[in-house]
Parts: sequence; C-alpha cells; structure tokens
Amino acid sequence: MPKYDVVVVGSGCAGLAASLECALAGKKVLLIEQHNIPGGCATSFRRGRFEFEPSLHEMCGVGTPENPGSVRRQMERYGVKIDWCPVEDCFRIISKFSDGSPMDVTMPAGVDNFINKMEEYVPGSRPSVTELFELLDEVDKGINYAGKDPNGADVKVLIQNYPNLLRVGIYNCKAVFDAMHIPQKAQDILYTYWSYLGVDMEKLSFVHYCCMVNNYIRLGAAIPTHTSHEISVAMVERLRELGGDAWFNCRAKRFLFRGNRCCGVETTMGTVEAELVFANINPDIIYGKMMPSDRIPLREKKLSAARNRQFGARMFTAYFGLNKTAEELGIHDYSIFLSGTCDSVKEYKSMERVDTNEFSIFLCYNIANPQASPEGTSMVSFTTMFHTTEDWDDLPMEQYVALKEKMTDKFLDTLKEKAGIDIRPYIEEVSIASPWTFARYLGVPEGSVYGYLTQDWDDIISRSMMIDKDYAVPGLYPIGTSGIRGDGYSSAYQCGSLIAETALQRLAGGNA
Amino acid sequence: MMKVQVGKIGILDMLRFKNLPLRREKVIRNAPAAEISAHFKINDNAAALHPDFQEMVISDIIDHEGAGAKSYILSRKDGQNAAWFRAGQYLSVSMQFGDSRITRPYSISCSPLWTKDGKYAITIRKNPNGFAADKALHSWKVGTTLKVSDPQGSFYYDKFRDAPHVIALAGGSGITPFLSMAYAIRDGLEDFDLTILFGSRDEDSILFKKELDDIAAVCPKVKVVHVLSEQKKKGYENGFITAKLIQKYAPENEPYSVFLCGPEAMYRFAAKEIDTLGLERKYVRRELLGVTKQVWEQPGYPAECKGQTFRLTVRQADRETVCDASADEPILVAIERAGIAAPSRCRSGECGWCRSKLISGSAFTPEETDGRRFADKEHGYLHPCAAFPTSDIVLEVPGSYME
Repeated sequence: MPKYDVVVVGSGCAGLAASLECALAGKKVLLIEQHNIPGGCATSFRRGRFEFEPSLHEMCGVGTPENPGSVRRQMERYGVKIDWCPVEDCFRIISKFSDGSPMDVTMPAGVDNFINKMEEYVPGSRPSVTELFELLDEVDKGINYAGKDPNGADVKVLIQNYPNLLRVGIYNCKAVFDAMHIPQKAQDILYTYWSYLGVDMEKLSFVHYCCMVNNYIRLGAAIPTHTSHEISVAMVERLRELGGDAWFNCRAKRFLFRGNRCCGVETTMGTVEAELVFANINPDIIYGKMMPSDRIPLREKKLSAARNRQFGARMFTAYFGLNKTAEELGIHDYSIFLSGTCDSVKEYKSMERVDTNEFSIFLCYNIANPQASPEGTSMVSFTTMFHTTEDWDDLPMEQYVALKEKMTDKFLDTLKEKAGIDIRPYIEEVSIASPWTFARYLGVPEGSVYGYLTQDWDDIISRSMMIDKDYAVPGLYPIGTSGIRGDGYSSAYQCGSLIAETALQRLAGGNA
Repeated sequence: MMKVQVGKIGILDMLRFKNLPLRREKVIRNAPAAEISAHFKINDNAAALHPDFQEMVISDIIDHEGAGAKSYILSRKDGQNAAWFRAGQYLSVSMQFGDSRITRPYSISCSPLWTKDGKYAITIRKNPNGFAADKALHSWKVGTTLKVSDPQGSFYYDKFRDAPHVIALAGGSGITPFLSMAYAIRDGLEDFDLTILFGSRDEDSILFKKELDDIAAVCPKVKVVHVLSEQKKKGYENGFITAKLIQKYAPENEPYSVFLCGPEAMYRFAAKEIDTLGLERKYVRRELLGVTKQVWEQPGYPAECKGQTFRLTVRQADRETVCDASADEPILVAIERAGIAAPSRCRSGECGWCRSKLISGSAFTPEETDGRRFADKEHGYLHPCAAFPTSDIVLEVPGSYME
C-alpha cells in the first residue's frame, strides 16, 4: 500500500494550496483528483477554436509586482509563475437605483478614482465614501492580522491597531453603511459586489464585504492570460517538482480510520495511507457518505444540522465564442452587471426561479485580455445564480435543455435591450452550464460553488475565530469554500493555506 | 490613526465581537445531532445524466444486409433509464479483444426517448481497416454485456449557434447521428429543418432507407436526398456531394448550417466543396475526424521517425508498465495493446479525456487534431489518442472509470 505523509483529496483551489503548503514544508504529498484535469472551478474547456474560462471573473488580491496582493504573494511563495492581465475597471452596472431612477454607472479601480467617480454620480458622497475606504482598509488589515495566527489573535493588538474591526465586526453591510450616513445612491452602487458573496446586504457581514471589496478596488483585479486552468496546472507541476504526486481520474471512496484518527483514503485506484488527509470536499458529502457515522464527532453533526443545507449561489453560466471582435460588437466594458433592481434583498428574492431571475453578470474577456480568443473573435459569458433548487430538483430530462435555453434567451435579450449589444448573429460556439453541470464537475451540493451561506452566526469572522473547534476529526481536514474564508478563488487559496498550516502545526505538536 | 465614527455603533460592540464564537457555539449546541445525508436531488440528476459508465446488454440485433452493417439495441443491465442524450451525441464503448482493452466512439442512432426504456441503438458498419468494427460485428451476440460511457460530444443542433435550417452531409454509417436528429425532430424534442444529403454507393446499399423515408413522410421538417455514386436512377441524385448539390437543396437568401459526418475520404472531399460556398465558419460543423492516418504525411512530422518502434513506459497511480509503441500509431493504441485500462472517448484529439502528462520523451500531435488547452501544451501534457511517439516515452496516464 502506498504511504504518503499527506494526501489531499480534490485539486480545487484550496486543495492545490494545501498540497503546495505541505510539500514546501517537506512532506511527501499525494494529490488525487476525480477529474482528468485539476482546479475544480479553476479550469477551462475547449469548443472549436475557443478555450473558455468557466468561472473566474476577476481574481482579487493580485495587485502589481510593486504592490502585490495576497494571491500574488502566495503564488510567489509557492514558486508558481502566472501571467496576469490587469482588469482596469471595477464594473459597469445597468439597473435601477432604489428610488426607481435608472442607473448606468461605470466604476474604475483604484480608491481615488473610485471615490472621484462616485462623487460625480452621487454629489456629496465624497466624505462618507472616503471614510468607508479607510474603514475597509483597517478591517481588511485587521482580518489579515487575525487570520495569520490560526490559534487566535491577540485582542490587545486588535484593540490597539484595529479598533474599528471590533466595532463593526458584528454588523451587516447595510447597518454599517447607514451608520456612516453613506447616501442611498452611493450605497446602491456599493452593493454591486454582493452577488460575488452570495447573500444580500442585510445578511452579508460587513467584514466579509471588506475583505473582498478592499482588495478589488484598492489593488485592482486581474485574470490569468490563459484561463484559470493555467494557474491550476502550474500549481500541479510545481507540486511534482517538489516531489509530490498527482493522480487524476481517481476518486476517493472512503476515508479510513485507525481508532478515531483518519489514517488514509480508499480510492478507485487503490488504498493510500497518510498522516494527514485534506479533503477539498463539502463536509456534508464527507460525513454523509465517505466515513463511518460513528467516527463523526457529535459537534460536527450538530454543526451540519445548524447549517441545515443552506447553500450559497447555485451557478448558471452561458459561454459564447463570437466571430466578431469586441470592438465590432460595441462591447467596451469587461464586466456589466445587469439587474432589475439594485436593492439586493429584492434581487436575491428574484433569483429563486428562471421566470423571476433578472440578474446577470456579462463579461467580455478580451477587454482585459487581448489573447482571450483568436484574432477576429471575442469571448463572452453570462452568469447568474439561483437561491432555491425548485426549478432544478424535479426537472424531467427532456425539459432540461429547454430550461437552460430559456434562461440563456433572457440573458441575450436583456443585454440587447439594456446595453444595446446584440451578439446573437455572431455565436460560433456556445456552452451552457446549469447547477446540474456544476454539481457534476465539482461534486458540490446542488451545484453551489459558495459553500454554506456566510451569514449571521456562521459568517467568516465567526468561523475564523473557531478553527480550534471546527476541525474536530483527528487527521482529516475539510477545506474549500465551505471553510473559514467562504467562497471565491483567493478565499479558497487562503483557506487551503491556513488550514494546512494549522494541521502541520498540530501534527508537529503531536496533536493533529 | 484616524477613528472612524460609525454612528450608533459603539464600544459595546467590541464585547459582542469578542463573543461571536460564543454566539456561534450556542447555535451549534442547540442544533439536533441528526444523521447527515449526502444526497441532493441536483447531484442525483447530474449523476443520472453523466454516470461514470453504463452497463448494457445487447437485447436485439438488426442486420442491414445490403449496407453491410448491424444495429445493436443496448439495454441498461440495471433496468434504470439510460442517460439522456442530445441527438447527434455518441457513446464510447469499451471492449476487450484478447489482451487489448480498447474503446470506440459510436454515434447513437435512436431517438432520445429510448432512454426512458433504458435503451440506446448504435450501428456499426463493416470497414476494411476497422479492427474494432470487424471484431464487434463477429463477436457481439444478443446477451453480450458492454460497458459504455455517458453520452458525449457537441455534434448536436444548438439554436443559439446554428442556422434554423441544417444541411446534413452523410456518408455511409455517418448517417447515424442524423437519423437520431430526425427522430428527435419527429418526436418534438428538437425544432429545426433538416435536409440530409446522404451519399451511398447504390440503392441497395442505403443504410436506414426505410426508417428515413418513414420519418420524412410524417415530418415535413425532415427531408432526405439520396446521392448514389455508382448508380443512376430516377428519384436519386447521382455522383458525389458537391457544393452545387448543397446549393440546390439549401434555402435561398437565408443562412443555413452544414453538418458533416462520414468517412475520412468524404470529409476531405466535402471540406473542399464547402470551402467554395463561402459560409461563415460557425455554419460548418463536423463530427469527430477520428485518428490521423499516415501521420508522416502531416506537416511538421519528423520524417526520420516513420516506421520506428519506441519504448513506452506508462505510469498509472503507483503502477508502471513498459511496452512497445509504433511511431505510426497514436500512443493510445500502444497503451491499449498493453492491456492497460486508460481513459479515452473521442479518439480524435478533441475531448481531452485521455489527457496525460509526458514525463520524458517527445511526441508529435498533428495540428488538425490538436485539441489541447493552451497551458497543457506549455506544461507537457498530451492527448495520447492524437499524439504519436517520436522517441522513447514515459507517460503518466489518469485512471479509468470504465472498470
């Protein structure tokens, strides 16, 4: 039976980060992946002459070589080279302000640019929005400080250096924005990012919002030149260089135990022994079918029940390869948020069914990356999410394609109507991914790529403060978007890295 | 440091912040200790649509004698529905002949509605160079068990991409995906106009003639034009499928799509004809090209390799196998001859299911079947179904779920 120090099950972003973290610590690592390609969401697929990016809109935390963000630093530390393309603007949003007036605003990256533009759109917003950015930065730094030491932060340091983190830490975004007297129209614009976190602004923890938005706007976002597959495959190759192995098309069937301690994995390609096992898998799947029930600690069962299968966004994306350039098609923005209202509570509610869903994010990759598709062509996608499973649970097979087409028709019609961009005649390649598709490729519950809802008692700050209690199965560490950092590429990389560090420390202390 | 005045939010919040873990712990403590289920309907649907493999039994065989072909009716062994498919898709069928474990892609030739009875039909035609086809035609009997993949491929009608009128060019057993599309139109599962230009040698060798005529009789959206290469007869076109013939049956003054499925020789001929029509690239779609024959004739091929035999080391998980690999055949063929269960589906370089890591050595992938991702090329991955060895090779291959 092959023996490794560490087995990582699942090569999603968190799994890749955990693998490299352990390999750099000198451990002999085996990474197993149920598909024939690595990355989970961070992958690509080909149709005709196009190679599509399936999920990454913008990577936050990249920054520039002079002013690197967390992701760039993490990749540099791993020795993984990525060819980044900066995304110049933050977003354009075409919607309605909460007072019903039409909204069509384009926000640039960079704090000063963002504040100046906001003042243009919402005169008088400058003081409160400026204050907000100072707060965002302080909170973000505070969280990074707290997150660096997985065993808990020093409260004295927090009080001294990041007092506002403690002041706002328990509030949702709306409460903080209101308390800061940010004009409603400016709030409407600031809400745009909520969809990347999967809960509306009355449920979304302000701290969670800070971590993402501060990174996006302050550092600017980026995408890899050759899709996120480039990142994943580069990470796998680095793992091999460091002496690790990677087995593809290899599925973990069961986690093995010696007493209460996980000691290996039974896979479709044989059984492997290990001192530490990381599972880039949703805990409900691990506990529900991959280990004996009597090895599941009581608290983990209760945690699962408390979360009650409330998952974040179930994804839906339509990808198009077009036989005209972005310029020829009149596309000038990298991302356009198209929504019926910018009231995130109403918007969230509308995203229950295909018939009511008016939300989409339209992306044109070529705007940020001239190499995104062959010369004379362009590549675009639409993404929306579903907050219920109603349309997708009992859908008969023969109606599946029609439902995907219905949602996609809405995307194309909305883009034409609201942004005046008609791409229909130029579609050379198309692929449509529904929650079924994401469930198939990622194995995630219900095709949700966001893990459990990060809200109220289970927001990321509360999770981060309880690492010592949440990882209760000796030797087995679930990682990924259901973990401490919630959803998103950079969050998943951080989660994999942090939990690996924690596990390695515990192992060194004889307490893994 | 500046102090942000967050209005009503005050110093008491610090205490609440500190107590966040307590609040969370309380919620967890008060939850019931229920058994955890890993079942989710969406995931079950996804699994039904894309099973790892399907075990099928041949429940009936139809002999198309004049056409030198047989249709095999496959029934799910477990009595479940067969995985749903889009008309035009194929199954990768796994077979073992002697020590060789091989796969072949076969287009599904029935209506998607058959899946509700747990069934598919596939059709195999006699082929002078067809190792697998001949073996299958001789050895498959009613009762033979086969493992097949989930339905694969993107050779189907898509309303966003394709014109509402499709001119299908079919040669020989290349009719099968179009027969399935015709059934799907008849059954209300697809909605487009389908004109099939079907090339056969003579009237007697037309595959599925009755089936096609029957559909066309009840379904005005489907039209079939038989093109006979070796016989002149009233009611039939004569010769090959040319640009002129396509224009004769294509709608005037509106866009149409051309779909192409047939043997390699027909591809090459038809591709040249289609070029003269000046169609936009998006309106021309072809089914899988198959394995490159005579790779040494491809541009860029290192001529000195032709006819050589190299040493191939295959790593799969913790196992290693060493075998010979002919420079004239795709690496996948050598892997299969060695009896290694490696993944493969399209066998045309496109789908990437066989994607493997070249640890050492070199290989040649013809441009026309190079379906690799950009980063894969950079990092030394290849698709063994479309890559030919040009030196001794060490290759790491993924697992196979067909076992």
